[in-house]
Amino acid sequence: MIFLVESLGTFFQDLISSRMVQYAVIAGITVGVIAPLIGTVVVIRRISFIADTLSHFSLAGVCLGVFLSYALAGTGFETYLSPLVLGVVFSIVGTLIIEKLRNYYHNYKELSMPIVMSLGVALSGIFIALSKGNANNVTNSLLFGSIYTINSADLISLIAIAVLILTLGILYYHKIVVLCFDETYAKISGLNVRRMQRIITILLALFIAVFMKLVGALLIASLMIIPVAGSILMSNSFKSSIIIAVIISEVSVFAGLIGSYMLELPTGSTIVLTNIIIFLFIIIFKRTSRSIKKA
Amino acid sequence: MRLSVHDLTFAYTQKPVLNKVSFSLETGDFLAIIGKNGSGKSTLVKCLLGLLKVPNNTIFLDDADINSMVKTTKIGYVPQKADFNIEFPITVKEVLTSSYQGKRDQSFTSIINDLEINRFYYDNINCLSGGQLQRIFIARALLNQPKLLILDEPTAGVDQSNLLGLQEILKKLKNQKITIIMITHHLEFATELADYLLHLDEILDYSFEKVGEGV
Repeated sequence: MIFLVESLGTFFQDLISSRMVQYAVIAGITVGVIAPLIGTVVVIRRISFIADTLSHFSLAGVCLGVFLSYALAGTGFETYLSPLVLGVVFSIVGTLIIEKLRNYYHNYKELSMPIVMSLGVALSGIFIALSKGNANNVTNSLLFGSIYTINSADLISLIAIAVLILTLGILYYHKIVVLCFDETYAKISGLNVRRMQRIITILLALFIAVFMKLVGALLIASLMIIPVAGSILMSNSFKSSIIIAVIISEVSVFAGLIGSYMLELPTGSTIVLTNIIIFLFIIIFKRTSRSIKKA
Repeated sequence: MRLSVHDLTFAYTQKPVLNKVSFSLETGDFLAIIGKNGSGKSTLVKCLLGLLKVPNNTIFLDDADINSMVKTTKIGYVPQKADFNIEFPITVKEVLTSSYQGKRDQSFTSIINDLEINRFYYDNINCLSGGQLQRIFIARALLNQPKLLILDEPTAGVDQSNLLGLQEILKKLKNQKITIIMITHHLEFATELADYLLHLDEILDYSFEKVGEGV
């Protein structure tokens, strides 16, 4: 108990004095709001697996960036081909490949996703190998994230994407609700469903590529999906499902930030584990309340 | 809204589902489409809604080719069963306000009142009965003041009291000079309300008649 209080005290002291902790907290608050917002659309449109696929494909872009920064060191080109930029490019290219491959099938459209995901993982392996050991120190943070290592440039990118997603979400809120609820009606009422779907996927790709640094390629999709998986079990309305998902997400982010800082654990893993613990509590609560109602 | 269909032939693969169907309706006409399952009723409705691509110069809405029209909210559609996810948390209010393309005004409130939706306006849509859901989908179709209303089997699974309620609603709409097209298996219900009957046959034949002149 004393250890906990002392560690908590240290965390808050560092929050005041350390820029690293301040950046991590701001990034955490941002991802805590944006991940469930975009996650709600992803879950309800049943494209959760696209998120996972894109994070793995985006990883290949980041790995290519790491390789090029080693291979092109000193030429000046490495600044234009940063891992972040290539991660974004690969993430968007991944959405286009998924879309193209889907057209080749009528009943097996989902096949496009494991193919793109495998391609991403395979390319990542090759780019890491080509980096000849230079990527070893970044591989761990690519896979599991390192929220405490983000710099001011990272923070600006995160906030810019967050503002873009938030603005579009507010402007097109009603259209998004119609699209999520009844796609046929959306088409009849004149919504360009195809264009909206494309914009959603591109925003998803941008989000994944830019926010991947916080919790890693393996966990970024879970940050979007698990809070929503819990919130839709508890909500009566679309709006309340978003609010509950944001609350679950923020609680997980703060528990993860503080917990990992105190116990020296990977932050991404701690955040996702907290998310899953909350999700399990919701399942137990739902089950118990259903049994009480039956009795 | 005037509607005319000229020699409409439609096939999903090689075998046609509709073969040279032609008919026309004037503003305020009520057409009932009847026919067995697989006779092409839903396909015809999907063509009219612009969900299926039809050849040029086959469907005209107020003299404009449907293929050259920008989709608007002039067509209201009431599905037999909405294609929505049962686990999606959404209230009646959210369904209706998100579908309404204007500021909430008197017309919005009067549709809610006329269809007696107030009682379950804030409820989750998944807690509602079939009759209540149908009223929501009718309200949603009417919110943007459509000139053509298409109803896909609104009588399916509806009990007698809800059927009478539906009849009253449709009579009111007919008086408002909205052109109405309704798919139904309920011939008695259809002849009571409709001005015309379009009977589609599985063998790709059809008949279009004024009610009382042949059926």
